[in-house]
Amino acid sequence: MSEKLYAWPLRLYPANFRKEYGEEALQLVRDCQRDDKGFLLRLRFWLNLLADLAISLPREYRRVQPEALGPRAALGPDGSPSFRSLPYAPPRFGALFFGGVLSLIMLSSIPRLIAHMGNGRPPGVPGPWASPAQASNPQGAGGGLAVTAGEAPKLDAAERQRVVEAVAANLKKYYVDRDMATKMAVALSAHQKAGEYDTLTEGPAFAELLTKQIREVSHDLHLEVIYSQRPLPDRPAGPSPERMAFYRRAMQESNCTFEKVEILPHRIGYLKLNSFPEPSVCGPTAKAAMARLNGAEAIIFDLRDNRGAYPDMVMLLAAYLFDHPEFFYNPRENTIERSWTRSPVPGNRLADKPAYVLTSARTFSGAEHFSYGLKMLKRATLVGEKTGGATDVGVFHRLDDHFGMGIRETRVINPYREPDWAVVGVEPNVKVKAADALTTAEALASRVTSSLEK
Amino acid sequence: MPKRKLDPMPSAAFEILLALTGDDLHGYAIMRQVAAQTNGRVRLGPGTLYGSIQTLLEGKLIEEVDRREEARPGPERRRYYRLTAAGRKRLRFEAERLADLLRVARAKKVLRGEYV
Repeated sequence: MSEKLYAWPLRLYPANFRKEYGEEALQLVRDCQRDDKGFLLRLRFWLNLLADLAISLPREYRRVQPEALGPRAALGPDGSPSFRSLPYAPPRFGALFFGGVLSLIMLSSIPRLIAHMGNGRPPGVPGPWASPAQASNPQGAGGGLAVTAGEAPKLDAAERQRVVEAVAANLKKYYVDRDMATKMAVALSAHQKAGEYDTLTEGPAFAELLTKQIREVSHDLHLEVIYSQRPLPDRPAGPSPERMAFYRRAMQESNCTFEKVEILPHRIGYLKLNSFPEPSVCGPTAKAAMARLNGAEAIIFDLRDNRGAYPDMVMLLAAYLFDHPEFFYNPRENTIERSWTRSPVPGNRLADKPAYVLTSARTFSGAEHFSYGLKMLKRATLVGEKTGGATDVGVFHRLDDHFGMGIRETRVINPYREPDWAVVGVEPNVKVKAADALTTAEALASRVTSSLEK
Repeated sequence: MPKRKLDPMPSAAFEILLALTGDDLHGYAIMRQVAAQTNGRVRLGPGTLYGSIQTLLEGKLIEEVDRREEARPGPERRRYYRLTAAGRKRLRFEAERLADLLRVARAKKVLRGEYV
């Protein structure tokens, strides 16, 4: 049955091909029909055949044409250009019919394709097919600056002026050190007068230069100007209920990113943690994990794949390593009260056990907060690579549709002197490749625990 | 002309060469072998399959084998294909080229592998 059906499209192929492989191709269809039983398999087979037709037909005709027309058409026997005509044969009725059907299928699929492509666009950015009403909606994407996805708008002098003024104004208004804020504003104005910004038309480069210049004056690595290609919302949206529900579900599915909680040989507790999740969602998981490691004689925190997140979880876990409240430096916290660990933790026996933190160049943000604090308090040995050096931008201020800046509004004095880990990262105590960090830390820890066993 | 068609080598042609490294196979068996070696991802249709076979024959990377004596009597006489020495050499060359690309992808951390 289907081989007869396939005999029709087979006629679309060039005569040579049909003569050479027609019988084989029909045999192949017979074989497939014999082996592929069931509706779905059959359907897939026919879809495959259609795709195959679309791809291989043009190729077979290309193969025929150059032989007839190719180089020989260009040069005659005496080297002069000449023409040859192909033997004329009118197209067969079957070929015309199938050509017509295929064209209809392809034409009718175009609107579907367009609709399908439209779905991939990020919300808020009007696409090329957006209706005029949608594109001019003032709540849409920042009025005149709205652009189609994938194409960054060029900066003009007016926007550069606006951004520089807004940076200076925000610094004067919010920066903790007023004199320093004025110095930065003066510096920016000088750079601008010198024409340093005149040739900058790319948003990211402009933001980077402004960041560099205000840091040069203030030496404050927590100051940052950022550029966002997507228009920034008027007011930073807090976590919506949907987003929290999504986060909760993701955390449940991943065991709150507590990837491994194990007791290794020599009674070494091993915790591989890939973020510092929100305590109201993951507090119980964190407490259960720490309880499981409670009998260990040493503890290894593996933060090599940890990208950070909530400072409260950093404080919650750090509390297990002390038997009294300890000041745990947190540059992001505006009040000092929340920088004290809630130690001792009832029932906890880890407060005086040796601790090791495994780090890599991908250890970021909250994970650097944890590593830096423990290193500075000499409470843990950091083993691995220098950490990523994530900048925590304090409070975020919107400058215009595409520019914003982070300003630390209250200065929590770093007891260990600036800088902390922002930009520069945290240096480990024992520098080894991240891949070797666990073996190294295990060896260090087992030296301690096995001496206890004696 | 065949040289031009196979340079760069289309993936269908590469898959067919790879399928023929073992036994001599007929068209349908090649199709099955290609599906098996790509976990069912690539299913060559008759047009692509025989078009590629023709190109590979022209490029002398495979040859047709006479296996009439083994064929069952009746209409189902099939043509079998075998990798030539040139085909095997070309296959190794292509595989090495892919391996080089893979090394670059690893080095650029496109592929997750051991962290270096």
